Amino acid sequence: MSGEALGLFAAGLLAAWLRATAPILLAALGGLVSERAGVINVGLEGLMLVAAFFGVLGSAFAPQWWPGAAAWVYPWAGAVLGLLAALLLALVLAVFHLEFGADLIVAGIGINLLAAGVTVFTMVTLTGDKGSTAGLLSHALPTLHIPGVAGWPLLDALLNGDGGRGHHVLIYAAFGAVAIVAWLLWRTRLGLRLRAVGENPEAARAAGLPVKRLQYLALAFSGLLAGLGGLYLSMGYLTLFQADMTAGRGFLALAAVFLGARRPLGTLAAALLFGAASVLAGRLGLLHIPTQVVYMIPPAATVIAMVLFAQRREQLRRRALAAALTQLTPTGATTSTPGLPSR
Amino acid sequence: MIQRSDMPGHLAVRQLVKRYPNGVLASDGVSFDVPAGEVHAVVGENGAGKSTVMKMIYGLEAPDAGEVVLDGRPCHFKSPADAIAAGIGLVPQHLQLVSSLTVAENIVLGAEPVRGMLRRFDRQRAETLTRELARQHGLEADATALVAELSVGQQQRVEILKALHRGARVLLLDEPTALLSPQEADELFRSLRGMVDRGLTVVLITHKLSEVREVSDRFTVMRAGRVVGGGRSKDHTQAQLAELIVGRSVDTASAPRVDARGREPLVKVRELGVVRARGRAELQGISLDIAAGEILGIAGVEGNGQNRLADVLSGLIAPSVGSVSIGGAPLAGRGVRHARELGVGCVPEDRLYSGVAVGLSVAENSAAADYHRPPASHGGLLDMHFIRQRARALLRLHEVHCRDEQVSMVTLSGGNMQKVVFGRELQAQPRFLIASQPTRGVDIGAAQGLRRSLVALRDAGAAVLLISADLDEISALADRVAVLYEGRLVAHFVGRVSPRTLGLYMTGLACEPGACATLDAPFTEAPVEATA
Amino acid sequence: MSRAVSGSFRTLAMAALVLALAWALIAMVSHEPLHAFRLLLTGALPEVRWSPELGFSVRRMARFGAVIEETITLSLLGLAVLFGFRARQFSMGADGQFFLGALAAALASTWVAPLPGLSLMLAAIAAVAAGFMWGLLAGVLKARFGANEIVTTLMLNVVAIQLYRLVITLWFNDPSANMIVSPLVPDGAALTPWVSRTNITAFVLSLPLAAAAAWWLLNRSTTGFEIRVVGDSPTFAAQVGMPVRRAIALSMALGGAFAGLAGLHVSNALLKRLPVDLNPGIGFEGLVIALMARNDPAAVPLAALLYACLKAGAQAMERASDVPRELVLVLQACIVLLVVSERLLPTFARRGKA
Repeated sequence: MSGEALGLFAAGLLAAWLRATAPILLAALGGLVSERAGVINVGLEGLMLVAAFFGVLGSAFAPQWWPGAAAWVYPWAGAVLGLLAALLLALVLAVFHLEFGADLIVAGIGINLLAAGVTVFTMVTLTGDKGSTAGLLSHALPTLHIPGVAGWPLLDALLNGDGGRGHHVLIYAAFGAVAIVAWLLWRTRLGLRLRAVGENPEAARAAGLPVKRLQYLALAFSGLLAGLGGLYLSMGYLTLFQADMTAGRGFLALAAVFLGARRPLGTLAAALLFGAASVLAGRLGLLHIPTQVVYMIPPAATVIAMVLFAQRREQLRRRALAAALTQLTPTGATTSTPGLPSR
Repeated sequence: MIQRSDMPGHLAVRQLVKRYPNGVLASDGVSFDVPAGEVHAVVGENGAGKSTVMKMIYGLEAPDAGEVVLDGRPCHFKSPADAIAAGIGLVPQHLQLVSSLTVAENIVLGAEPVRGMLRRFDRQRAETLTRELARQHGLEADATALVAELSVGQQQRVEILKALHRGARVLLLDEPTALLSPQEADELFRSLRGMVDRGLTVVLITHKLSEVREVSDRFTVMRAGRVVGGGRSKDHTQAQLAELIVGRSVDTASAPRVDARGREPLVKVRELGVVRARGRAELQGISLDIAAGEILGIAGVEGNGQNRLADVLSGLIAPSVGSVSIGGAPLAGRGVRHARELGVGCVPEDRLYSGVAVGLSVAENSAAADYHRPPASHGGLLDMHFIRQRARALLRLHEVHCRDEQVSMVTLSGGNMQKVVFGRELQAQPRFLIASQPTRGVDIGAAQGLRRSLVALRDAGAAVLLISADLDEISALADRVAVLYEGRLVAHFVGRVSPRTLGLYMTGLACEPGACATLDAPFTEAPVEATA
Repeated sequence: MSRAVSGSFRTLAMAALVLALAWALIAMVSHEPLHAFRLLLTGALPEVRWSPELGFSVRRMARFGAVIEETITLSLLGLAVLFGFRARQFSMGADGQFFLGALAAALASTWVAPLPGLSLMLAAIAAVAAGFMWGLLAGVLKARFGANEIVTTLMLNVVAIQLYRLVITLWFNDPSANMIVSPLVPDGAALTPWVSRTNITAFVLSLPLAAAAAWWLLNRSTTGFEIRVVGDSPTFAAQVGMPVRRAIALSMALGGAFAGLAGLHVSNALLKRLPVDLNPGIGFEGLVIALMARNDPAAVPLAALLYACLKAGAQAMERASDVPRELVLVLQACIVLLVVSERLLPTFARRGKA
């Protein structure tokens, strides 16, 4: 292959990789914020789904609602509707947990079921089609071309994708969101409060923080980000909604949060790994590696990582206890592992 | 921030009354006065009512009657936020800090400085503020250190700075030296004196009379929800202080004493120690013996290591150092089942948390310790007929008032629940029973029955370890008594010791360094004045 | 008010709410709401007619048969989820355990020389063992390493389903079929229908038997006792010397065994061959059943039956009216949300979950 052809191939691969990563990354960042605030959001899957669906709906029906508007308005109308839907669903989750005392995990599962039901139910009612909205004309959100980098071909390929047309706006949003979430959590007052609430709600309450309100905010924010992830599915590469379109990405997003040790950069790395797995799955057939094996890698990696993290925590605890042992015996001699349940 | 006087506050409480929904009268007309710039100690044992008074001052509870007065103006706090706004700060016993945040972040939490339109957290300002505050009050604190990496004494300082940041002019400290080493405690008292000199009023809530004498100007003693004394710390002798706190109780008729000295002990504990990751060791250098047919009492205010002692002896936790044996067989660190097989039984201190399974039936609770062996089960199959029958016998024997053995445990009163716990332990016919606060929260009639069971167990030849904060109980039942204070044994007495003497040692006023409660250890002589 | 009475009151109130919601949704989208609602409620049931000439005749038996079959599968899955819940573990692993159980059953049936009766038993053992081991894996991860069981079970589900697809695609497919599917389970291992035109097989006995077995395991075995005590108060369990970690791991393993059994049902009784694209998600329906039954094995078969009737009713409604059957998904979600909302429908003397 010539150098140029290789470059084009790599750019195509890269573009596919970013496309696969973006929705997971967006939802994962939403999951990160809510998990950091102490309200783990298991309903990311459902939130993505409703955003994907209502985005298409808004985009398809906007011409009827605003017949005179310019054509570029319609996809954005869809985006707004989709985000509102995700936000609403996230608030339903928040209300059931924070007001009605519903268990957060089970309520999250309920949200997923609700989303699956509402989307297909509405789709059939409005379009008569059970599988997808192929019959509707809906639009994609625009791609963004970064100008002025034509002089650096590698950078151009990175920033503007294959063909130089630019990446989808939500891909930029996804990667930009990493910085925004990091900045939010570690540089703003709100982020400080969210982290405090998530780590020690009692201390937060004692400091006068409005714990419930902050948790509402966290869940709403996770709804918004997950919604963006869902929008990308139905208004990005594809411009339609299919039943069960999310295909488990919401759960992968949650896993990415934990694989990434609950930090923004870690979550980014994990999301990239998951995106890579789905892109490579098809292409590794050349090396006789079945796609299913590739699909197994992200969840297996997550499980292994969680075990490693747990072992590290245990190690730190043992070290602290061993250090404290010098209080009792100057030489640190011990009869058994200090302070642990005996077994 | 509200413009507020920077002068230290004058706090007073007048005739505070508080009755809890379960009927307990926690405060019965409590009044005391803390002039501005004073260090005042509110002293009492657990259950004396001092925590309730503190909660009312801080707005965590509302008094049923009476009022809190600050600078001559009556206050009606609906929440801690109101108290904080008025200038009252609290340093809680269990520190409420966020471990992964820095010192500066913890201090400003809830009142964080921000910059710019986007509400950026102004870290520099927070850190500057922290340093300024620390310098102003003579406290050492590293603004950028993570709280997780600080020692307990340093963390407590952060709590103090937090309260001062919010403009506290009256600082409440709840059992401040509970987790501190002696050196850290000294440092704390020095800092408090310094802060008071710079303009602060301090109220110490404590059970340790040593602190009263060391650092406070005046004090108030509470017992059973009432104020029973007070005055200037320097004007009272140790003995007078101790008498106030434990009261002069009538010598109740009690079981004949057993003198087990000279006998071979059944339970031997040598140099037992347990550390925790942060703070003072929970237990240090504990050596004691218990002979068969003897009750050894461990007196002490809760929180001085009693829980850990019970946990180690029952096999739940392995000690950091030291050894425990029963009848010559090693006991420590091999698990609860091993201990039970050697004949150890345990009535845990927190009934609802680790004494019963509230959602299960009485019968199931009664079988929870030996369900895995015949006759309660065979080959993995529970013999419910046997279990129920045995439970019914238990209910009859201990006069538990409930419909039958099938009812859920949650429907039983505290006293009846404790009877079931006792019944479960006694039916295993233990050689050695650990009873932790056995009659806490139990009505008088049931309590008497439980005490009789303990005596009967002893008379039948078992060794009993009675851990209790109730001095009357200790006096009445124990053959020998050891006092636990800050994780160490500080005294060893024959059973018939006056509560006043016990009080001296329980509150740190007196101490016999290196005391141990082995059978051949000498008994502590007349109270020794604590040095420093 | 005794707890039993107030519990039933709560259940009735919830049922009323759900039905009211169903009615509201139907009324919104349908031109003939009454007809649709009636179909929803009764569409699952067979029609029994009597005429003087022909005597009794039953119509729509096949549809009712499907309801019973679904009830069996759902009942087993509900029992599977229930075990973890009783130990206060949020194990979501029923899906993965179900898939592996089905795969193991089909493999054992096909690759072991078909001996009548014996191969079915082997398939059963394989299915139960596969589910048990997969559940045990998640259990050990939680008990030994403290790994969050929600995330690990969700991840293990993915691994299990991919493993299922891998095996069927590469080594265990029927080349003569025109889609990727496993070979037909040989007759010796398959279950024969008891009722004509349905797939109601001997497995129907599992409805009472499995529930009884689960009840018995939980309430009469030492392991079940440990699971219940750990679920009620882990600190108490530790204090009396119970093997807390073992109980946690076993709760998930036992759940997996029941899920594996559900897999056997689908493999050897219902489908007789496993498609590579078998729909995941049935494990979550098991969760709904467990919630409806309030984690009581005795109530699981009834909850499963009601749920299956609702689903079949929705299908009938869709066929004969203009309301799509996805309505039932919305109702399902509402059931889940309502059941766990402790403060919405007040309960009497319920201890809060720690």
